[in-house]
Amino acid sequence: MSRQMLSRLTRAVVSGVMKETPDTYTLLFDLGGGRSPADFEPGQFNMLYVYGVGEVPISVASARGEKSLMHTVRSVGRVTSLLTKLEGGESIGLRGPFGRPWPLADAEGKQLLLIAGGLGFPPLRPVIEEALAAPDRFGGVRIIYGARTPADLIYRREYERWGAAPGGSLLLTVDRGTNEWPGNVGVVTTLFRKAGIDGKQAVAFVCGPELMIRFSILELQKLGVSEGNIFVSMERNMSCGAGTCGHCQFGPLFICRDGPVFAYPRVKKYFPREGI
Amino acid sequence: MRFTAHPDAVARLVQNLLGMGYVVVGPTLREGVVRLDELAEPESLASGVVDIQGPGSYATAGGSPYVFSAVNGPDSAKKYFHPAEVELVKLTEDGQGVKVVSTFRPDRKYAFVGLRPCDLRGLQIFDKTMLVPGLEDPVYSSLRKDSILVVANCTRAGGNCFCASMGTGPEASSGFDAAITELPTKLLIDVPDKNVGLFQGIGLNPATDEDIRLGKKMIEAAREQMVNGIERMNLAESMYAGMESPVWEEAAERCLACGNCTMVCPTCFCNTVQDRIDLRDGSVSRVRTWDSCLAKDFAYSAGGNPRLSRMARYRQFVMHKLAYWPEEFGDYGCVGCGRCVTWCPVGIDIRATVKGVLAGQAGITQEQAGVQIV
Repeated sequence: MSRQMLSRLTRAVVSGVMKETPDTYTLLFDLGGGRSPADFEPGQFNMLYVYGVGEVPISVASARGEKSLMHTVRSVGRVTSLLTKLEGGESIGLRGPFGRPWPLADAEGKQLLLIAGGLGFPPLRPVIEEALAAPDRFGGVRIIYGARTPADLIYRREYERWGAAPGGSLLLTVDRGTNEWPGNVGVVTTLFRKAGIDGKQAVAFVCGPELMIRFSILELQKLGVSEGNIFVSMERNMSCGAGTCGHCQFGPLFICRDGPVFAYPRVKKYFPREGI
Repeated sequence: MRFTAHPDAVARLVQNLLGMGYVVVGPTLREGVVRLDELAEPESLASGVVDIQGPGSYATAGGSPYVFSAVNGPDSAKKYFHPAEVELVKLTEDGQGVKVVSTFRPDRKYAFVGLRPCDLRGLQIFDKTMLVPGLEDPVYSSLRKDSILVVANCTRAGGNCFCASMGTGPEASSGFDAAITELPTKLLIDVPDKNVGLFQGIGLNPATDEDIRLGKKMIEAAREQMVNGIERMNLAESMYAGMESPVWEEAAERCLACGNCTMVCPTCFCNTVQDRIDLRDGSVSRVRTWDSCLAKDFAYSAGGNPRLSRMARYRQFVMHKLAYWPEEFGDYGCVGCGRCVTWCPVGIDIRATVKGVLAGQAGITQEQAGVQIV
């Protein structure tokens, strides 16, 4: 991937919009330049560009076998507020994909634990789709997902299919429940004991707020999952995508180039510190 | 090959390079400060000027017999190869999507005359960031690849220089197109055979052993002037171990988070890209400008601001140079030029910070470690 990508934009035309929560939308894109979703690996991210405003790094939410490239965006800043207002037929610019993907091959034959918090769920969505499409490849796919409230849960239309798929299971939790919420209340780690985790056999992919990742790692280790079988996806302020702007530095690592997915031992040294 | 030449050879070299079509850059005197600038003629050089530097202070005086008498001012070569502001791409939008109108194209090739050894090393370190195979920065690589670097070895250290302790000077060892050492009555010139042509029309004599010995002696004198430095033994490990030292907070209480240290640093590469809209035709320039890890929102993302405190940001600057860089690029990110000390408005001295952190590791007080806070 050449740094010329700083100026090379792929045209991405909105082909569908799905409202996930009051501030979060899933966008489907048709790509120009002969590109397809197959070019974007699970765990990678793209820089989405709104003309005259700027770029933001957003995880790839579509699997390689899907028809459209998918991104799920929460409206939090200048660029994302415009992205979440896009309508079908409108277009944006796209640079990518960037970063290292989830190491699906390392999890073959193992129990795949997909642990997500909040907007850490989208980068795991393509893993779910690809793993459930080839159930014999893994020893089960356990999806564990937490959000702040029931209203913040995304991809609700998919839960039934995922939970019922051969080899699949889905456990949900929220930090704050409501009267209508029948499920678990508490942080994601409260689900670990219920998930039937086989510590010796499991490979965990974890994405979410840093604090949630930190506690998930501690709990996974208690269940016997080895450090080397834990992979985390980190969030920082990725801007250039090539390790030259400095915004996403995490200790000696550039999250955009060396990550965003890391084997836990690679980031362990810096992970528990504040202010890195 | 080593030659000697009459001191006038510097002027002739500048003329040669101008004649070859280079934009020639060297030290000039502007508003009492030695700045790197484009030389219209050899007379633009800040010949005879001496700098007087201390933590948070800078002044110049005259009276030196040497051409390259002043050491570093605030500018390093990075401002030419990694411009403080550069248009990466110009775009338009016609309803059918975004179209690229133009991308950055270099319109010049640079020749530096009087580049200091620490700054040469600074460029070599910069190369490791910007010329990663497959991820080459298009602006930096296109400006850097055809450049000429003529170094002036240092025979005098500035008030904040500590290149000797970082192993980056006061003599350049490799990677230059020519290196000049100013002896009292002549120039000692170290030039690879392939570059002898740069000195066309200049009378060169083979250097004698005596010339070479004198050059070494003068460079050693500069080395000995640098009494205050950074101990590199186990430095990265010690800095990691000292990340919770109270020294960081003490420095941060004085730090204004102005970012001057990162602007003047020859290896700081951080940058940001902005969209600038032309109101006449609605076209957009995507402009890259320098940025600083001292800026409050530098690391901000939707997930929060990991370096909200000034302590965390100052620590990032120092840790990056001395602990992260070796792991990231295989070399320290500090060349000991002392610019961050001179141009800090409150005179925070990276050497004192490091000494303070290391003193904590050794279980001694900062006073015992010889830390001076100005």
